[in-house]
Amino acid sequence: MTFRNGQKVEIYQKSADESWESYMDEFVGLHGIITDPDAVKNDPDALVEVSLDEKGTHRFPQDCLRILED
Amino acid sequence: MTDPTCKVNDLGIWLKKQMDEGKFETPRSRQQATEISGFLSEVCQGLAEEDHITAIMKRADFLASAGETAEIRGAGKKIISDVEENLEIFLGHIQTHTCPSGACPMLTPAPCQMACPAGIDIPSYLTLVGQGRYEEAIDVIRKDNPFPWVCGLVCTHPCEFMCVRARMDAPVAIMDMKGLAAEKAMSARQYKNPEPKPDNGHKICIIGAGPGGMTAAYYLALRGYRVTVIEALPVSGGMMMVGIPRYRLPREVIDREVAMIQDLGVEFRFNTRVGKDITVAALEQEGFEAYLLAIGAHGSYKLMIPGEDDFPQVITAVDFLLRVALGDHRPPGRRVAVIGGGNVAIDAARTSLRLGSEEVTILYRRTHDQMPAHHMEVVEAEEEGIQFSFLTIPKKIHGEDGRVTAIECVRAELSEPDASGRRRPVPVEGSNYELAVDTVIPAIGQEVNGSGLERFEDMRWTRRNTIQANTLSMETHQARVFAVGDAVTGPATVVEAIAGGKKAAHAIHRYFEGFPQPKFPRAPTRRGRMAFFQVPAALKADLKRVEMPLLGNERRRITFQQVRLGLDDTQARNEARRCLRCDVCIRCGRCVEICRDKMGINALELGYMDFDHPGKTDLKITAERCIACGACATNCPTGAMQMTDQGGMRVLSLCGTELNRLKLEYCEKCGAVIGPARYHDYIMRRIREISPKLAGKRVCLDCARQETGRRHVEMAPPEKE
Repeated sequence: MTFRNGQKVEIYQKSADESWESYMDEFVGLHGIITDPDAVKNDPDALVEVSLDEKGTHRFPQDCLRILED
Repeated sequence: MTDPTCKVNDLGIWLKKQMDEGKFETPRSRQQATEISGFLSEVCQGLAEEDHITAIMKRADFLASAGETAEIRGAGKKIISDVEENLEIFLGHIQTHTCPSGACPMLTPAPCQMACPAGIDIPSYLTLVGQGRYEEAIDVIRKDNPFPWVCGLVCTHPCEFMCVRARMDAPVAIMDMKGLAAEKAMSARQYKNPEPKPDNGHKICIIGAGPGGMTAAYYLALRGYRVTVIEALPVSGGMMMVGIPRYRLPREVIDREVAMIQDLGVEFRFNTRVGKDITVAALEQEGFEAYLLAIGAHGSYKLMIPGEDDFPQVITAVDFLLRVALGDHRPPGRRVAVIGGGNVAIDAARTSLRLGSEEVTILYRRTHDQMPAHHMEVVEAEEEGIQFSFLTIPKKIHGEDGRVTAIECVRAELSEPDASGRRRPVPVEGSNYELAVDTVIPAIGQEVNGSGLERFEDMRWTRRNTIQANTLSMETHQARVFAVGDAVTGPATVVEAIAGGKKAAHAIHRYFEGFPQPKFPRAPTRRGRMAFFQVPAALKADLKRVEMPLLGNERRRITFQQVRLGLDDTQARNEARRCLRCDVCIRCGRCVEICRDKMGINALELGYMDFDHPGKTDLKITAERCIACGACATNCPTGAMQMTDQGGMRVLSLCGTELNRLKLEYCEKCGAVIGPARYHDYIMRRIREISPKLAGKRVCLDCARQETGRRHVEMAPPEKE
């Protein structure tokens, strides 16, 4: 899956990636918007920036995200 | 809105319930509980000082130790333990005037402020810019971000993605407003530093003079720390200076904002690479007590194709942009191929064009739609004449006599989506071809170059070759060593690095003060609650997002002049009026519900309130339907919706946007205000059955009651004697 700026996404699961931190557990189930995807080469391993509805902007591994609408 | 719970609010609700149930039987305990309840309410409304915590604990302690019943003593103990366990949240309410849970309506931050990685109080500065108060706007911004001018030009503005106005038409031009404020304040010499705290004697070493390092330097210097910034390059700014071309971010902008940081006494040592020009041991000997690693991601990924290392005309985008930034303005070549689809590729291509290259082609392995570069950057590059070759995979770089002559490519097509949903570019067999070029600029990604940091032995690195750090406190696994910016996140944005620098400064201060580090993301701070602009609904709805004027294309192609020319005062004033003031209207929807469901009027069509399923918004419809009953304003928890009587009119406004204005009518009998005719008619329709005699009369409720009462007396049968 390739994420692009402005897509609406959901944090639908925890990630096993080392960049997942414990405070992120409470973000599971929240919706947000991709605000800075991997801006270089569509790397599936890159961390992407998501602005969560009312919970701030954070970088997440891509395996915890799913697209809600383009 | 998610289901809101807040530990402060929860405790207040619980205590009130105990009081309502009569658990505090004696006057003395009831008095103490009432006072605690009042203090908790003030914390939830942003009216508290830190003394409030002491006051709450003192009274709770009294209840716990001297309460007359076991129940009262238990209540006192619960209050104490709740405050102690959630002290960070209590203090957060008091210090930041925000409650991101949404449970405390007066403290709910705007979505734009929440989205800003640096947590800038955007509604406040937009209002100040709209009023022409640029100096105050800059003061508000610099409380959270010491680079308002830089971010006013190159921020990726996540705030605008979350802007509620975008659900109506287009987001407020938040970034451009910041740029204008900085430019105006700087031009008027009103861009000033706050007064730093006295020297506290602690010495901090920051390695790297990029946005993250310098932000930390700014906030640490303000707290009285002695800060030294060590930089390998001969200039400050990091990737802002050597990665972003001057047509997007003029050097003067960076220099002026860095000078403000230098003015606070921060020492800069340029041309000094740690591990080469100075050792960590030498820094230790100088007495530095903490380190912040902000080294950026200045390394480049390789193409891994034949010929890449054989010719000096193959130069990575990072090295090319660095060379140009440091003053080498020779064209890289006549025909240039830039490889990659990200922002850096676009920057390298547009820079080559400006330096005089005749043909510049971007080779990208995927399609136009899949380019990760920002849309506007791609559009501007296309306008300037950059060529794009999509679905193109480089295979080999050819050359003769030590010079590049061509790049061999193969055409690609996208595969069917794989399990992860990604469509991968697959080479088309036999489609190889050569593109004649004399320079190749790979721009396929950056990485962290950690050489020189080996002395920090306990520090750990991630599998992405970035420094492992706690992203709340920016602490690494090495004691006294913090890290921020691209070195932690991988190549990311300027504003994220700034946010990291601010967090690191905060964490370093907590380290020296002996405070525990935060466990949750820090809530942004509300810097004010500005007065609303008074705007008619029609104007609010019809104001379109301001369009940034751009430098003419002819000049763009041949100079490094700034492309985005900036807003003027009038544009800024109008743009500020487009803001929906979500710092006050928290979009709880109570006004809409009560108007539609309780009153049966449905005069508020505010579809923008829902994040997931925004509906239609029509600010003008209210004037047609609203009866000015005031139910919406009465039930608004924040004062966003207001109803006032002024000059014989009743006015309904939402955050200053005038939704309805109706002429007031007066009681035929006593002259009291009875509201507008629509409201009176609505009431009369409701009581027509029980009081038919009043039909058609314009009387207030008191007079109506008297009239109805008299009629009942006349109709009542005489009592038997």
